[in-house]
Amino acid sequence: MTAHGTQTTHTAPAGLAEEVARVVSAVPGVAFLKPGLAARLRSPWSCPAPGRPSTAGVRLTPFPGPGPEGEGGGWQVDVQVVALRRARTVEVARAARAAVQGHLAEVLPGRPPARVTVTVTGLV
Amino acid sequence: MTTHTDPPDTARDHGDDEHLPCGRLLSQVWDDWERGTADPHRAGCPHCRGAVSDLDALETAVRGLREETPGPRGHDAEPLARRVMDLVRLELRPGRPLPLGEPAEDLWITETVAARALRAAAETVDGVRAGSCRLTPAEAPENAPKDSGVGIRLDIHAPPGAVLPLLAERVRQRVRETADRELGMPTAAVDIRVTDLVDDTPADDQEGRIP
Repeated sequence: MTAHGTQTTHTAPAGLAEEVARVVSAVPGVAFLKPGLAARLRSPWSCPAPGRPSTAGVRLTPFPGPGPEGEGGGWQVDVQVVALRRARTVEVARAARAAVQGHLAEVLPGRPPARVTVTVTGLV
Repeated sequence: MTTHTDPPDTARDHGDDEHLPCGRLLSQVWDDWERGTADPHRAGCPHCRGAVSDLDALETAVRGLREETPGPRGHDAEPLARRVMDLVRLELRPGRPLPLGEPAEDLWITETVAARALRAAAETVDGVRAGSCRLTPAEAPENAPKDSGVGIRLDIHAPPGAVLPLLAERVRQRVRETADRELGMPTAAVDIRVTDLVDDTPADDQEGRIP
């Protein structure tokens, strides 16, 4: 995780993916995060502990900042969700993106805005 | 915000497909096994055999679930097993991501999910059965946004006696409405191809009809 700069700059704070998962799951119109069935099939030990959200549909990747070693970079967040059919899909995706951006701006002040990609992988 | 000319590689990016230590893709190993493709490597490779064993265990578990909880008529096991396995396959092969919303929003829907919604929309027209639904991001001129709309080509079975141009237009309209109002997916051309005339009205409803 140091390819683009120092470890301090680019290591995801502990539990950040889980926080993002919680935030996205609470967005109206989101049924759940992509369940990650294949990963669970490969390893039953990969299931999250009780009470902790699965992060199967969340991925955080650092992007470098303007500093000589990439300092001041931010986060690229890829989110995969299953949405409710009754909601307009694009609005759910927009709300999920806004929720993630808002949350990261709050917990990581001073960083560039997160780049958030939302992919709807199912409708229920 | 950046333009999203490089759609996310949904399955692989999120770690749901993987290269086994022997170099084979997990999805390919499963696919070959299900198709019964002869593969000497798979028979001798412990990694491939392990991957196949995992999938076999899932299928066995699903069938076992059926036996423990028989449906009202006791013969619903195969549809259940098929649905579960379809879900697993969908996760590994979701199809390419297609754009949602405005260009550069970086919001996507997987091809398989969008196609399913559009096929269902077509089937809201009386007597229509939807078949293959191909979705392709529109070819844009150079320097234009690449995600300016999704081209749709939908095959349908129409009821005998239908006025095909009118029927096709109604289907096209339903498909466009669903893409726009329900999904929010920008569309380019919507081509409807009638591939057969099929009367799927239940036999009871046909009594008394003039042949």
